[in-house]
Amino acid sequence: MTTGAARQEIATERPARIAFAAGALGLAFSLLGAFFDRVQFFQSYLVAYIFWLAIPLGSLAILMLHHLVGGAWGWVIRRLLEAATRTLPLIALLFVPLFFGLQALYPWARPELVAGDPVLQHKANYLNVPFFVVRAIFYLALWGGIAYFLNRWSRQQDDVAEISAGKRLRRLSGPGLLLYFLTMSFAAIDWIMSIDAHWFSTIYGALWIVNQGLTGFAFAIAGLCWLENKQPLAGLVRQDHFHDLGNLLLAFVMLWAYMAFSQYLIIWSGNLAEEIPWYITRNTGHWRWIPPVLIIFHFFLPFFLLLLRDVKRNSGTLLWVALGVLAMRLIDTFWLIVPGFEATAGHPLHWLDLALIVGIGGVWLGTFLWQLDKLPMLPLQAPLVAEESAAHG
Amino acid sequence: MTEPVIDKPTASATHDVIGPGHTFGSVTDKISVIVLTQKTPQGWWIGFGLSFLLVMVLFYAITYLLAAGVGIWGVNVPVAWGFAIVNFVWWIGIGHAGTLISAILLLLRQRWRTSINRFAEAMTLFAVACAGIFPLIHLGRPWFFYWLFPYPNPMGIWPQFRSPLVWDVFAVSTYATVSLLFWYIGLIPDLATLRDRARHRFARMAYGILAMGWRGSAIHWHRYETAYLLLAGLATPLVVSVHTIVSFDFAVGIVPGWHSTIFPPYFVAGAIYSGFAMVMTLAIPLRAAYRLQDLITMRHLDNMAKVLLTTGLIVAYGYLMETFFAWYSGNEFEMYMMANRLAGPYAPMYWALLFCNIIVPQVLWFPRLRAHVPLLFIVALIVNIGMWLERYIIVVTSLHRDFLPSSWGMYSGTIWDWATFVGTIGLFLALLFLFIRLLPMISIFEMRELVHTEESERN
Repeated sequence: MTTGAARQEIATERPARIAFAAGALGLAFSLLGAFFDRVQFFQSYLVAYIFWLAIPLGSLAILMLHHLVGGAWGWVIRRLLEAATRTLPLIALLFVPLFFGLQALYPWARPELVAGDPVLQHKANYLNVPFFVVRAIFYLALWGGIAYFLNRWSRQQDDVAEISAGKRLRRLSGPGLLLYFLTMSFAAIDWIMSIDAHWFSTIYGALWIVNQGLTGFAFAIAGLCWLENKQPLAGLVRQDHFHDLGNLLLAFVMLWAYMAFSQYLIIWSGNLAEEIPWYITRNTGHWRWIPPVLIIFHFFLPFFLLLLRDVKRNSGTLLWVALGVLAMRLIDTFWLIVPGFEATAGHPLHWLDLALIVGIGGVWLGTFLWQLDKLPMLPLQAPLVAEESAAHG
Repeated sequence: MTEPVIDKPTASATHDVIGPGHTFGSVTDKISVIVLTQKTPQGWWIGFGLSFLLVMVLFYAITYLLAAGVGIWGVNVPVAWGFAIVNFVWWIGIGHAGTLISAILLLLRQRWRTSINRFAEAMTLFAVACAGIFPLIHLGRPWFFYWLFPYPNPMGIWPQFRSPLVWDVFAVSTYATVSLLFWYIGLIPDLATLRDRARHRFARMAYGILAMGWRGSAIHWHRYETAYLLLAGLATPLVVSVHTIVSFDFAVGIVPGWHSTIFPPYFVAGAIYSGFAMVMTLAIPLRAAYRLQDLITMRHLDNMAKVLLTTGLIVAYGYLMETFFAWYSGNEFEMYMMANRLAGPYAPMYWALLFCNIIVPQVLWFPRLRAHVPLLFIVALIVNIGMWLERYIIVVTSLHRDFLPSSWGMYSGTIWDWATFVGTIGLFLALLFLFIRLLPMISIFEMRELVHTEESERN
């Protein structure tokens, strides 16, 4: 790496330090809050956890998708995705506190509620504390395992002599994606859906997979916009890449809207006593403002912006769209989870929500930046863009 | 046009999208000769003759239906939706592969679509034609079918806009229109080639009229490319919307087994799944019969097999979620629905469908097996059957055990149900035989483009 252009080189250290500091501060405040309101702490913790979890897991899925189908868009964001997946051990560690708050989060974990509820008794074969813990460990271990091999072989691929690494990556990615789909679907049921312990929706797992894919893409695009003009990537990332990534973001925005709307339409028109309360809670009271916000800013605005060629080809504008999508993901995550707590104890918005989003987010981002620095920003085997840029000027 | 895929997947680099040694002339000759000068092969006459016989069966069945009414079918309360809906969904689903190949793969700049898009699009049209027959003849008085459209009328009758059956009318008619336009516009440059090469006066005139004065000037090409791309953009949402609305036909109701939120994506995946199975069922014999192995190459079959595997896995995911949530819901009716599928009177069909749609396609994980053409053909055929069974299970098992045991019943198709179904297969095949005899089944000019790009890449 040339030292001449030090000014332009990627400097992850300072932002990482800031992120860790913010994270530590957030977590310190949160711990303080936990003394005053234990239930609120866990509920806020879950929201923050689920939101930040979407980035590494979405990245994991996108990475495997890229290994399977190829494409220049994947090569330029690959190291960002890989760094995000290398935070999965941290994610697993961050899950541990939740084990101590299951009663604050899930009605099925409270024996006194289960005793009077035949549906919960029926579900107890699946929704019980030991099995929940075993499943969570299994999911996290599996994701970590897949991420470990994806990263290890990708590093080996940087070595010219190692030809078979690419093949192994492809071979793992097919079954890996399949396993991710299955485990994430059940994780969504366990960790999120079961807050509303009676409610069920068969699309729910797929919806969360799309949520994570969308979050992962938005995050990677934002990351690429940040890195674009810095040293190893400068001059190699072109408008075409942003165009393709913008199109993929558009596809995921549409997929999100498609799934979210399908679920709503089917439940709304069925209007069954066991399903519709989930939407009634989320459509009335102080929550009634969120659905219009999601419709406009989570779908229509990014949809129309991303139809425009100029928006996609300009990293400056694409960055804002990606950040906007991330902000909407946070609001959507909040709206999907928190109304479920209101029946128990929760508040619509608590300062602990903010503290934990910053706390977990800061630690996560710091870890991500620390990991990002570990490998060359562009895979050395990336079919380089030189001939392409020559051909297209 | 920029080329986004800069890394070549090594697995497919072993096969090209076009055989070696082809030039502009050889491609044009090879495809147009099938239509223009080759003597009609005997196999064609036999195949067309047999399909035509089945068309006659269809006409006979429909005529009798019009005379006697839907009572000749097996439908009755509680199973008032029988073969007609099963076949409608099956045929509509088959059409989706054509649109996916021609629109989405075009937008994704997948070059391997080129030699299979034309007949896949034709397949779409014919499948939609077959599908359209069923809801129409299922109406008690099919001659009033136009009442389905919202038009101002002296009776003051309007369709129920909240019913997905009305959305179907719009979805399917839009789909048919766009598919037809897309197919026809894609044909125009080739029709001009045929016009210029035809010897027979009548053929020259017929192709000439259809070619709409195409001269191949730069302006023509410019407008053509714009129109084609726009249509591809228009057709893309249709790949998803049509079968989504078909899934709403079931899911917005509250019948256990139908009212399931996974239905929209799972139906779309199922549609693409069955569509690709049908494309393979047709492409494999066609390339053998007309010796098109260097135009429809192993790379095409390999890619189609991968699409088949992927969509098959999504469908399997749908089954899994349905089964799990039937239990998880704790709802007595949901649980009974699933128990009835697994062990009720239609259980053999349910297990057969799981075998056809989930077990069998797993062989496609292995590259060596994907290279085995007869095996691919058999897998594709089995998937076609499996997807028909899936719709049968969804329609029949959900209805035949009503909420009240007093209104339970059994359903099976009568001879007229079967005659109509087999008749539409005949119609589909007959139209397809006519198509491969009268029109170029592979896009000639796109293959020329492919020769050009492949050549420039080799140099």
